[in-house]
Amino acid sequence: MTETLLAVRDLRIAFPGRTGPVEVVHGIDLDLARGEKVALVGESGSGKSVTARAVLRLDPDARLSGRIDLAGVDVLALPARRLREIRGARAGLVFQDPLASLNPVMTIGWQIIQPLVIRGVPKRIARRRAIDLLTRLGVRDAAHRFDDYPHQFSGGMRQRVVIAIAVIAEPALLIADEPTTALDVRVQARVLELLRELAAERDMAVLLITHDLGIVAGFADRAVVMRHGRTVESGPVEEIYARPRHEYTRALLAAVPRIGGDPSRPLAVIGEGETC
Amino acid sequence: MLTEPLLRVENLVKHFAGRRVLDGISFEVAPGEVLGLVGESGSGKSTTARCVARLTEPDQGRVTLAGRDVLAAGRRELRAIRRDMQMVFQDPYSSLNPRMTVAALIEEPLAVHRLEADRRRRRDRAAELLELVGMSAAHLDRHPRSFSGGQRQRISIARALAVGPRLLICDEPVSSLDVSVQAQVLNLLGDLRRRLGLSILFIAHDLAVVYYLCDRVAVLENGALVEIGTREQVYGSPSHPYTRSLLDAVPVPDPAVERARRSDR
Amino acid sequence: MSRARPIERAALVVAVLVAALAVLGPLLAPHDPYAVNLAQSLQGPSAEHWFGTDVNGRDVLSRLLYGARETLPATLVVIAAATLIGTLIGTLAALGGKVLDEVLMRITDIGLSLPSIILALGLAAALGPGLRSAVIALALTWWPGYARLVRTLVREVKDAEYVDAARTLGVSRLRLVFAHILPNALGALYVQTTLDVSAVMLVISGLSFVGVGAQVPSAEWGAMIAAAANNLTNGWWAVVFPGLAIMLTALAYNLVGDWLRVRNDPTLREGAR
Repeated sequence: MTETLLAVRDLRIAFPGRTGPVEVVHGIDLDLARGEKVALVGESGSGKSVTARAVLRLDPDARLSGRIDLAGVDVLALPARRLREIRGARAGLVFQDPLASLNPVMTIGWQIIQPLVIRGVPKRIARRRAIDLLTRLGVRDAAHRFDDYPHQFSGGMRQRVVIAIAVIAEPALLIADEPTTALDVRVQARVLELLRELAAERDMAVLLITHDLGIVAGFADRAVVMRHGRTVESGPVEEIYARPRHEYTRALLAAVPRIGGDPSRPLAVIGEGETC
Repeated sequence: MLTEPLLRVENLVKHFAGRRVLDGISFEVAPGEVLGLVGESGSGKSTTARCVARLTEPDQGRVTLAGRDVLAAGRRELRAIRRDMQMVFQDPYSSLNPRMTVAALIEEPLAVHRLEADRRRRRDRAAELLELVGMSAAHLDRHPRSFSGGQRQRISIARALAVGPRLLICDEPVSSLDVSVQAQVLNLLGDLRRRLGLSILFIAHDLAVVYYLCDRVAVLENGALVEIGTREQVYGSPSHPYTRSLLDAVPVPDPAVERARRSDR
Repeated sequence: MSRARPIERAALVVAVLVAALAVLGPLLAPHDPYAVNLAQSLQGPSAEHWFGTDVNGRDVLSRLLYGARETLPATLVVIAAATLIGTLIGTLAALGGKVLDEVLMRITDIGLSLPSIILALGLAAALGPGLRSAVIALALTWWPGYARLVRTLVREVKDAEYVDAARTLGVSRLRLVFAHILPNALGALYVQTTLDVSAVMLVISGLSFVGVGAQVPSAEWGAMIAAAANNLTNGWWAVVFPGLAIMLTALAYNLVGDWLRVRNDPTLREGAR
């Protein structure tokens, strides 16, 4: 077995509601080895995003119980002021909307080097590393574009900047929450390719949160299918796609329209009366 | 094509802020046919839909629906044309007036086009339409806010169908929905199309969705139509390099296929 | 559902009570509000005069009850007129095209730059001083703020997808405005108008104070405060009770307005479930 990087045990997440806390995740187990790519798959309301955010304790309102072990750090026991030690350094984050996750009044260069600067890396060195990284991510003329602002970049380029911010401090884990949902297919393919290459080069584990079964198939080693705050099924992607054990996984796979499929056959509908 | 086309679009040109966003778009939709309009963001597919529906005035071009000139129509004639041409929008959360009940939303087109003068009959018709799209008539007095995205999209479809249109323009109607809900709405559109003989102009960025629903496909790049043909032609042997690059980038929900693709690159 | 909270219920009671007192004032007032009795000048609160007497020996409570009949309707007329004009101008500017927008907004700018006191003085000269001149002057200077607000609100809503959807359905322009655009646009205006109740009350008092509003011996609340302000040290009650009346009424109308807004907005109501 390879070394375990992230171990989540019986994670429960509740948010305050009108009549007391409402539990949205009901006991999740999740393991990631170093360098492993795992997809957390589910539809809206499945709890996939809050689960991923819980790894870095990003939702201050959330009440977490269970255990999250990230590279030897007991995340849930960590005092709030020490959370910075894991954010950025041990785990980086990429969100869905590249425009919303960048500060519009700061240059992209300034934003990329922050994770290094706050850890005491001299600015000159940080700048050089940022330019190298941007170049690696396919940003042409990175040295000149370093001082540009987010609005001067296209959607795909912005997402590369967001990825640069997430990985510049060389975290062992990258959490990517729907990183390509807002992008066109060709840009999506390129961004996923880059993430895959970065993961391989740096032995970085990736936790990919997505609703898209297509990109899971091409990206992840293992998949965890979530529904209503519970794990439905997990395993290597080859197995899940070829022999889904759970009815929900089967229905989900059959609900996706496929090029080359038979258009005269209706797509699978997931039961439970009027679900939509 | 032997039959007279229901919709004919000729040489649409539109500029926004000095940029040419539509650069001479032409295509036809036959009665009962579903035409998919695909392209990336900024390709002009939504603008084309809006010009056909005359929500946006193109700078040049002609749109003919069942022999009537859409762009030259006066206010009264346009209203008559709109009985034949309805639209379903992308965002089911913003395309329904939040202050109206489901009944009021579906009855509105019936009242506006004076299709049903009697109030009670209007309500009965609204209930029928709601059931046609697979929802219970018990929902009539609720507001859009209390429905999920998929249900709202069904309500939008019921509303669009109220006037008995021959052409439905769907602008990314499933792109903001979950996979399972998307499947339900796609099934519904396919079903309605068969039952009602509807023509659909279907705008989408997801090529698999378009494959599932459309008889013919038009590919747009930077405001120009680069390829148009039957589903089998466009997906089976795409003639334009842009179409090929799009198809290459579509993720396939099959790990074996994806692995083979990657080793090809 | 949005059941009224206790504070909102209290506000509703106060608002209704004030309105009732304004209607029934003459029946309830223990004394003649205009009867000067210098022997009773500046008496403190007592069993005979609950809220004391003013410098002319008039019963403050009775004057408050009569005053409600002047202050309250005057305020509501100003707000109603300004809302009506503002909504009309703002909507026309937002929907009527570039030229009309430009013209109406310049007129609005002129309206905004008119000081209400000068206008009231002018009107007082033309129509004679009195509450009527003050109300007209205030309405004429109050609407431009609403016109600007409505213009902004309507512009936000007019490109909403549901407005496009209604257009493709063939809905007429008039119905588009009254059924789809205005109901969704004006929520923030209601809040503004209820918040303005207190401000208008105060300006009416101010106009009365400088002599172009309600005239002596009117019991308009602002005028009462103005008249009693000189004797604040030896007759605080003649200032404090009208002040409290203005404050409580304004607060009550604010709370009721806000509650009505939430209650009437289905987007807020059903979403909270």
